[in-house]
Amino acid sequence: MDLLLQTLLNGLLIGGVIATFTIGFQLTFGVLHVIDFAVGGWVVLGGYLAYYMTALLKLDGFFAIPVAFLLFGAIGYLIGPILYNVRNSRTARPELMALALTFGLFTLLRGGMLTVWGFNTHTVPTALSGESLAVGPVTVPMIRVAAAVFAIVIAGGLFLFLYRTRYGLAIRATAENRQNAALMGVNIRRLSANVYGLYAGITAMAGVLMAAIFSVNPEIGLRYTLFAFFVAVLAGLGSVGGALVAALMLGVIEAFVSTYVGSSYSLLAIFATLFLVLLVSPRGILRRGL
Amino acid sequence: MKSHWADLIILVVVVVVLALLPVLVNNYWLRIATGALMWAGLACSWNMLGGYAGYINFGQSAFFGLGAYTTALLMGDPINLPFFATIPAGIAVTAICAIIIGAPTLRLRGAYFAIATWAFAEALTQFANVMDFTGGIGGLNLPPFLNERFFYFTMSGAAVLTYLVTWALFEHSRFGLKVKALRDHEPAAEAMGINTSLVKLQTFVLSAVTAAVFGAIFAYWVTFINPKSVFGGDITDQMVVMVLLGGLGSLRGPAIGGIGLFVVSRLIWMRWGDTAFYIAILGAAIVLVVLFLPNGIAGLFARRPAKSVTVLDKAAGKLAGTGEGGRN
Repeated sequence: MDLLLQTLLNGLLIGGVIATFTIGFQLTFGVLHVIDFAVGGWVVLGGYLAYYMTALLKLDGFFAIPVAFLLFGAIGYLIGPILYNVRNSRTARPELMALALTFGLFTLLRGGMLTVWGFNTHTVPTALSGESLAVGPVTVPMIRVAAAVFAIVIAGGLFLFLYRTRYGLAIRATAENRQNAALMGVNIRRLSANVYGLYAGITAMAGVLMAAIFSVNPEIGLRYTLFAFFVAVLAGLGSVGGALVAALMLGVIEAFVSTYVGSSYSLLAIFATLFLVLLVSPRGILRRGL
Repeated sequence: MKSHWADLIILVVVVVVLALLPVLVNNYWLRIATGALMWAGLACSWNMLGGYAGYINFGQSAFFGLGAYTTALLMGDPINLPFFATIPAGIAVTAICAIIIGAPTLRLRGAYFAIATWAFAEALTQFANVMDFTGGIGGLNLPPFLNERFFYFTMSGAAVLTYLVTWALFEHSRFGLKVKALRDHEPAAEAMGINTSLVKLQTFVLSAVTAAVFGAIFAYWVTFINPKSVFGGDITDQMVVMVLLGGLGSLRGPAIGGIGLFVVSRLIWMRWGDTAFYIAILGAAIVLVVLFLPNGIAGLFARRPAKSVTVLDKAAGKLAGTGEGGRN
């Protein structure tokens, strides 16, 4: 029973962190109409930033969080317009070209990181590493609790931003119908750049936490891209509210399979669920997909 | 009819060159030629769906690997089938898998299909890694058959056949017109009475099966396969680059892109060995082609630049406003 509770709690905590970057992923799809293969790349880059800040500058891993947001937010802000231009270009098949572009970007990031940093796995030490928190019969690592708190703050902030501000309204309007939003005076191009920057920044921050909880190496990016896809399929592409639910489910599924079956089967279980959902309810379990 | 003559002359020249190559070059270069033909064929197979039907498949390596593993398992110890008997089995396995993945996802937007195929390839890699009968991470050995000319001619046959199938089916038949029509404007194609879901599924299965045949030959040729070498994402990456480089949806482009990129990759390999840097080059190539050469090498030689908006688009746009929100 304790193990069950422990597993459930661990899964929910990790699911929270996954939710932060999958919400951004869904927003990007809604606004840019592009699924971003590079999502795993941003997670890993955030992790490496944290690793180098702790290893070279001897700083605590948590200091990397704001730096990751600013650095990769800025990079994302610069990449956003390129993606927008390709997606809306006058070539014959812009949707395909945009998809190929993010795929190429992901391959470039993965290959570049493997070339520069090799296949080694690194860990990111923080002030909370090794500490744990006892909640009744179960104990959870402190770093996971901190990550979950961070996730709640980021996800809550995002939802407030989307549903309580004028700019959030503009983003939602663009996701719903681009042409009508443009007619209402939304500058879609600039909005796309902002959304992609925001998303890349948040994803890199989540990457710092993932590196602190687990570890980081260039090949692990595939795993996070898969996570984002899983959540997107379960929630329905573009559904932001569904992403939160689906991410928590993903965390729990992963934790249970890892604990009770074996961690080498966790990816296989995720794929199996993904296909089942695609077969049974292709627009997401909540049927909210675009 | 003029274009038919040009095609025929090119075909004759290519076949003559292919037939003479084994007496002109040594075994080392014959091996490279075999590899180049395989990649040209794989690029053509990817182009069937990606170029002609407009659906991007990021998991083509899954079908390549299914063909390879089926051959390896059937030629392996308990069963010991002859090589050519394993190919139909590989085709059947691949076709079933393609239908299972394609039937639900091809009805949706391209993005779902891209995700599903990518995830399928990664899932198969994981599956082959953890299962015992696939040999796990260690992979499988096949009975060695060291006859370079046999593999060269088998690979040439498969590649020429793939090219001819593309020529006949996608460039010179009603089926090809249906596929192109649904790519250019799906609602309009449906309104004309085309069963678009069926046509897409047929194209997908054909494309998958073609890749499986090359996988089967590849497995017998290299005599050793493991999950990374036949299911790995790098295989799909390479196909995507070859097609984009050569020209998406053109007949000759993918073949040119496939042969060109493979030879370049061998030259890099000879100079620097097996390097992760090649993955970065592939990624950079995709990005650069998308940004600066969206019609590929074939686009450079086209008599007129590809039109931004198709005729069907214009007609449908006039009738019912724009279709899908993306096209401004």
